[in-house]
Amino acid sequence: MDPGKFLLFTMGGLADAAYLFIVAAGLSLVFGALRVINMAHGSLYMVAAFVVVVVANQLGGGIGFLPALLLAVLVAALVGVVIEIVVLKRIYGQEHLVQLLATYAVSLVIAGGVRIVFGVNYRIVAAPISGHVSVLGYNYSLYSLLMIGAAVLIAAGVWLLMFRTPLGRNIRAAVSDPELLNASGVNVTRLYTIVFAIGAGLAGLGGVIVAPSQAVNGTMDTDVLVLAFAISVIGGLGSIIGSAVGAVIVGLVISFGLVNPVTNNFALAFVFIIMVVVLTIRPWGLFGTPEQT
Amino acid sequence: MTRWLPASAGDRVRWAAVAVLAIVAVSIPPVANWYEDFTLGDFSSKFAIFLASSAVVLALWAMSYNLMLGYTGMVSFAHAAYFGIGAYVVALGSKHFHLPVLEALVLSPVIGAAFGLVSGIIALRAARLYFSLLTLAISQVLFAIAYQWYSFTGGDNGVHGLDIPDAISTYAPQYFFVLGVTVFCVLLMYGLVRSPWGAALLAIRENRERARSIGINVKRYEVSVYTIAAAFAAVAGGLFAIVQQYAQPEMLYWTENATPVVITLLGGLGTFLGPAVGALIYVVLQQYITTSSTFKLYFDITLGVIVLAIVLAAPGGLVSLPALFMRLRGRFRRGEPDQAVAESRGEAIRMLDVQKAVLAEAIHAAELETGAGLLKLEGVSKRFGGLRAVEDVSLEVRQGDRHAIIGPNGAGKSTLFNLITGRLKPSSGRIWFEGREITGKPVHSIARAGIGRAFQITSIFPRLTVRENLQYAMLAHRGLTARPFGIASRIFRDEAMTLLEAVGLGAYADLPAGQLSHGDQRAIELAISLALGSKLILLDEPTAGMSPFETQKAMELVRRIATERKLTLLFSEHDMEVVFGTARTVTVMHQGRILVQGTPEQVRRNPEVQKVYLGELDVEEFSA
Repeated sequence: MDPGKFLLFTMGGLADAAYLFIVAAGLSLVFGALRVINMAHGSLYMVAAFVVVVVANQLGGGIGFLPALLLAVLVAALVGVVIEIVVLKRIYGQEHLVQLLATYAVSLVIAGGVRIVFGVNYRIVAAPISGHVSVLGYNYSLYSLLMIGAAVLIAAGVWLLMFRTPLGRNIRAAVSDPELLNASGVNVTRLYTIVFAIGAGLAGLGGVIVAPSQAVNGTMDTDVLVLAFAISVIGGLGSIIGSAVGAVIVGLVISFGLVNPVTNNFALAFVFIIMVVVLTIRPWGLFGTPEQT
Repeated sequence: MTRWLPASAGDRVRWAAVAVLAIVAVSIPPVANWYEDFTLGDFSSKFAIFLASSAVVLALWAMSYNLMLGYTGMVSFAHAAYFGIGAYVVALGSKHFHLPVLEALVLSPVIGAAFGLVSGIIALRAARLYFSLLTLAISQVLFAIAYQWYSFTGGDNGVHGLDIPDAISTYAPQYFFVLGVTVFCVLLMYGLVRSPWGAALLAIRENRERARSIGINVKRYEVSVYTIAAAFAAVAGGLFAIVQQYAQPEMLYWTENATPVVITLLGGLGTFLGPAVGALIYVVLQQYITTSSTFKLYFDITLGVIVLAIVLAAPGGLVSLPALFMRLRGRFRRGEPDQAVAESRGEAIRMLDVQKAVLAEAIHAAELETGAGLLKLEGVSKRFGGLRAVEDVSLEVRQGDRHAIIGPNGAGKSTLFNLITGRLKPSSGRIWFEGREITGKPVHSIARAGIGRAFQITSIFPRLTVRENLQYAMLAHRGLTARPFGIASRIFRDEAMTLLEAVGLGAYADLPAGQLSHGDQRAIELAISLALGSKLILLDEPTAGMSPFETQKAMELVRRIATERKLTLLFSEHDMEVVFGTARTVTVMHQGRILVQGTPEQVRRNPEVQKVYLGELDVEEFSA
């Protein structure tokens, strides 16, 4: 493979990794703090994608994208707050089956709602910036570079939030001992709502960023959710760095898997084979910590 | 009252439900035909029968899922894959290999079980959530293969148009064929869940740790139920291919697993026939909503709202649904006192009949020679990170001895017990039992070797009846739970009853153990460890939470049984009266190490021991 092609597929993989990381980071953050696997995470991603498409197209062109982005992320976060207060608060600490079923039920309601509000047809939206740069004989769309840049910024932002702010300190404390944190005067109930809203907002941001690069449709919730599971499991559930590494692995495996004529049909299978291997050898993932029993 | 009527109200309701289901199932085709004539063709009986066939297939699929979910609590995302594989076996067998459909249908559970066994062994390396995620990954790999392997599976087009034999190609005969196969499978499953094998599954669902400590190899049972569920799912898939005449890769996609789960939930989790009712509701609901012009987009929302309502309305989790239902029913039917909410009053220990207990057949006498070494620890240590919980402990417990381990909180007593029973692996050192090394062996094989255990924190099977708690312990310990036939609740029934009456629990034999008071649950815990027929019994603070009177009675029981049956006891205890009244040998632990060992008298006089205990008292007074 010549270097130009190699770079092309690497960048393609990284662009996929970009939005997948943002979604998986939200899933992982929520699991780390609340111990809940949120089956409705992909739904929040889908809702935001639809909102950004409709609003950006309404406002028109590249200028409309930014306000649409803000609105879409806000909507996702708000829906998240409602889910947390109405559903999750009642099922914290219960067996995984109950949490899986409840959040799955939420995802059904949202999927149905999206179909009723936005219709069953797929939608498209133009990227806020157009144009290409040419490197080693191949064109790269500026938007995919922007996606990668955004993911790096988000990664840095989440890291700063977790390790450099009082809120992050509380979240990390809630992961290890919520009762002690509660006793020391922190409103853990509200903290959980905030964490879930951040997670939902990240899902929404992922949906916004991916919207211009693919058709927005009614099954994108489950498609992204299963990949986000794979990423967070490979990287380690609850670990933000793990999500980043997992996303890059998954993005590159898909990208390079698809070019190779021998493997192109089974690129997605490889992602899940990696997931199986990681889970059997190191169930807590590459960067996770083993669960206390 | 005629004799052939089942005795309890619950049983009568259950049999009535079975009868109603059977009548409904058999009468669907004739009623549909009659209704078509009645409405002069506005109603298609063929379509109604076709829907009924689909419902039966879904019911079988959901029941196979329930075998795993309801009886072991395993949440699998790969169950749809086995359903899909079953459909592909029949469809591809017919199209590619010109196999008659019926032969392919017989082959489908074999292939489904093969896939289930291999993926079960992989997925069950992890537990709970990580198990679920592994099944998700496995199902996606299988989906990708079905979706992309065009030359074999037809890729995203799937396989269409099967060669269905004439005998079952028309609607009504096909329906009865599907129904017959399903009923056959359901009877097999019913036999399985009532057998000792099924009893082991229930024990695992109720309390994995306890199940291990009575000698159940938890992993092996989980792999076997996973494989068997996969086989039945594949039969359901094969029937699906016959009814729908296609197999598609989407059938394997992970989201498809929601269908059997929702059906199970609709019918009531934890009931055997619930999924059958759920499937009927599901198919009717789906048909009604998706063909309605106004509501056709509302199917997902409706399902979502129903599932949410069920999950959130049962605050104790899904398992409380049957109880919730019973409570609601009790509210409408005042006449019948609700036995399920009756609670014991913690009097069991007071009613204890020591003489009877000592003679109880249920406790197997171990033929032992008093005085020989039974359990031996050599330099055993356990470190958690920097914490040295147990440090260089060497200890010998002789046959027939009553050996107490005492020491202040945090001395390492419970950790030591966990090391002996295999729950924890020692960081270094070796452990022998009856001359055989058991260091690092799994919990269940140590239990089977003859070390029984009562836990410090009561560890019983809360939703099984008090009697089943004992019966299952006896079954497991005697290695009978591998039997997939017979009726578990009829084996060791009398033996369990004798022991229960002896420990004063006879009146509560049929109540769920979790509803008894704390003191009575301690009595069950004790009875389980006695019923195991172990040579060595480890009691971790057997009288924790008991009143002085109860303590006295319970220890009298333990002492007498140990003497009469030549059992060896190793126990930890805080109550010094209990220790010096029961033990023949006392070992004092302090900060993970053995401080002193000797006769009760030697230990009592030892100045170091007095210092340790006085020291602890000082600290307690200081912090109070």
